[in-house]
Amino acid sequence: MVAKKSVLEFISSIKAKKRRELLEFEAKKLISIWGIHTTHAELAHDVQEAVKLAREIKYPVVLKVASPDIIHKSDVRGVKVGLSSELDVKHAFEEIMANVRANKPNANVLGVTVQEYVPSAREVVVGMVHDKTFGPTVMFGLGGVWVDVMKDISFRLAPLTRDDALEMISEVKGYLLLTGTRGAPPADIEALADIIQKVGQLAAEVPEIVEMDLNPVFVFDKGKGAIAVDARIVLGKD
Amino acid sequence: MFKKLFKKKPAPKPMKRKVVARKPKKPVRTKPIKPKPIRKRPIKPKAVPKQVTPIRKGDGVKALFEPSGVVIVGASGTKVGTAPTLFRSAVDNMRTYKGKTYIVDLSGKMEGAFKDVKKVYGKAELAVLALSQDLALKNVKKIVDAGVRTMVVSPSYEREQQTELLEAKKQGVRILGPNSAMGVINTRTGLNTSLEREMMPKQGEIAIISQSNSVGVAVLDLARLRGIGVSKFVSLGDKTDVDEAELINYLSNDSDTRVICIGMGDVRDGRKFVDALRAAAEKKPVVVLRAGIARLEDRIYDAAFKQARAIRVRDVEEMLDVANALAKQPPMAGDKIVIISNAHGPAVLAMDAVHREGLTLAKLDEKTAKGISQRHPGIDAANPIDLGMEARAKQYELVLKNVLADPNVDGVMVINMLKSSLLDVDDIRAIAEVLKKFKKPVVDVAMGGESYVLVHDVLKDTNVPAYDSPERASRALKALRMYGRVKEKSKAPPVPKVTKKPKAARKR
Repeated sequence: MVAKKSVLEFISSIKAKKRRELLEFEAKKLISIWGIHTTHAELAHDVQEAVKLAREIKYPVVLKVASPDIIHKSDVRGVKVGLSSELDVKHAFEEIMANVRANKPNANVLGVTVQEYVPSAREVVVGMVHDKTFGPTVMFGLGGVWVDVMKDISFRLAPLTRDDALEMISEVKGYLLLTGTRGAPPADIEALADIIQKVGQLAAEVPEIVEMDLNPVFVFDKGKGAIAVDARIVLGKD
Repeated sequence: MFKKLFKKKPAPKPMKRKVVARKPKKPVRTKPIKPKPIRKRPIKPKAVPKQVTPIRKGDGVKALFEPSGVVIVGASGTKVGTAPTLFRSAVDNMRTYKGKTYIVDLSGKMEGAFKDVKKVYGKAELAVLALSQDLALKNVKKIVDAGVRTMVVSPSYEREQQTELLEAKKQGVRILGPNSAMGVINTRTGLNTSLEREMMPKQGEIAIISQSNSVGVAVLDLARLRGIGVSKFVSLGDKTDVDEAELINYLSNDSDTRVICIGMGDVRDGRKFVDALRAAAEKKPVVVLRAGIARLEDRIYDAAFKQARAIRVRDVEEMLDVANALAKQPPMAGDKIVIISNAHGPAVLAMDAVHREGLTLAKLDEKTAKGISQRHPGIDAANPIDLGMEARAKQYELVLKNVLADPNVDGVMVINMLKSSLLDVDDIRAIAEVLKKFKKPVVDVAMGGESYVLVHDVLKDTNVPAYDSPERASRALKALRMYGRVKEKSKAPPVPKVTKKPKAARKR
């Protein structure tokens, strides 16, 4: 209840800015209000602010360009990871700005987002689309080639039960990668199911959101949770 | 221009009469043939004018299957098109109907038929429009004014051609179709509004909804060949009004129906459909056949079927195979299957078939194995259980009794090869007798062609479904297992409902 109210307030604040697509740190803020575990991310307008935020968030940090005109941030070389000192952050900031200027000169750049760094883990994708017949629909797939090349994805209508979520995870062909093979420990499927269910609830309860993409979500070993490392949210036209 | 012409027509007076006609719960029972002028009618409603409520949603669907009277409207004298032939077929088909049928032949040629639909005023809840495109539209208003609640419209129209139908719909008349040539069948009452002959299946417990006329025909045709019983049949057509969801709702509450089969394409309102499907699947098994698997949107449909716990099949044959098993056998509580056969090869193929459907071979309890091998030293009590070519009903019976009592066994596939063995058709009959006493699912396989026909002939009227291959039988077992899971789930805590406008409070 409280979460829904906060999310709706947050959404109207975005709408007031006449934007339909949330910036990464905004999307992350929104999902974290909803209880979806995601990396801490804040917007820094300049280098001093970036340094200050990095100290707050705690090293090591990640810097990503923040611009409504740039969706694929690594394509413009606008992402720097593993920054563990003030000097690193300062360099990274300048470098990102230079790269973006070179690769996307016309982009409206607000600054960078400073984000908590998380060690890499199994990557999966959790998304949501509005189907014209069935309405909000949740999508799941294993990250990278599994989604892009193999089209190895599964769907369920939102909202989902726990069983629906577990079923849609086990339905993809690459499922065995999550259950632990060749001595690798199993992934935290319960934590993943939790994220999927929460995305489904959010989609069902907040119809203003028409598209959502948590890509990637890192899934750690069993018992160690899962976290959305990047997030994209698009709002519908009123 | 045309619209203006139409709008002039309705005088205020018939409007009143129309309401009158629909109001009384039961049209006054008059003698079927010679309708007397109905003087009483205008008086009645005056007593209860305030209760004139519009026909509620769902009411009309009931009147579709259980009308208090049926009028078939056709024009036998028209020279053009197939409509007159179809009209005659419908008239012929309705001879089996135990209720009242009135026939209106607009061309006035058919013996015993009324010439004007006015003559059956207030007597029929259901009208079948066995007319050409033009004539049907021209007569919609007259038919509505005769007090029908529901119409089966057989010709097909473009969306923009349907003004008259939409007008009738607005007034609360329920419309099946247009393009519902196969109409409605209710085997209990003999109601059969289909415009095709030789369609009536045997009475049974499987309901069939088909969007396509021809697929519907194929299903009924196969059901007739296989002796599979049907409770109700409906061909949806273009769904200007009545849709899948409403029919599913109705059939899920229909006590004559144990299994609902749906042959479908696209739905308009996905959520309404899924909600109906899910609610129905909790009450009885729902089997779905949908075309279009190559398209991405089918992935969403498939997800919807899974979430609603409907059982999706690949073709018409599988639809009936699976529905027949679900109608005759109990749901299966686990994945473990025992194969009992009088021949080795078919049993080996059956192992593959069972495996392919994600089921497993049961490991027999020691007691069971001992019980079998002690009494019949020759029989190998490993699964699959090979009874040998000498086996007769007695051996099957003994083994079945042991196996069905085994807690490690969830379901059984009985294979009986008539040729190259001592087994006889009479043995099959005896085996079916034994199986009556047990509550675990059993399917029968008589692999091959002619032998299958013989075995099937014996089993078709029993509660044991018979198949001509272990593959078909395995798919039936799989469906029984899927329904078993639905049953387990419905005992578990309730699932959150799929709602369009979500309620604020959803605890988790």
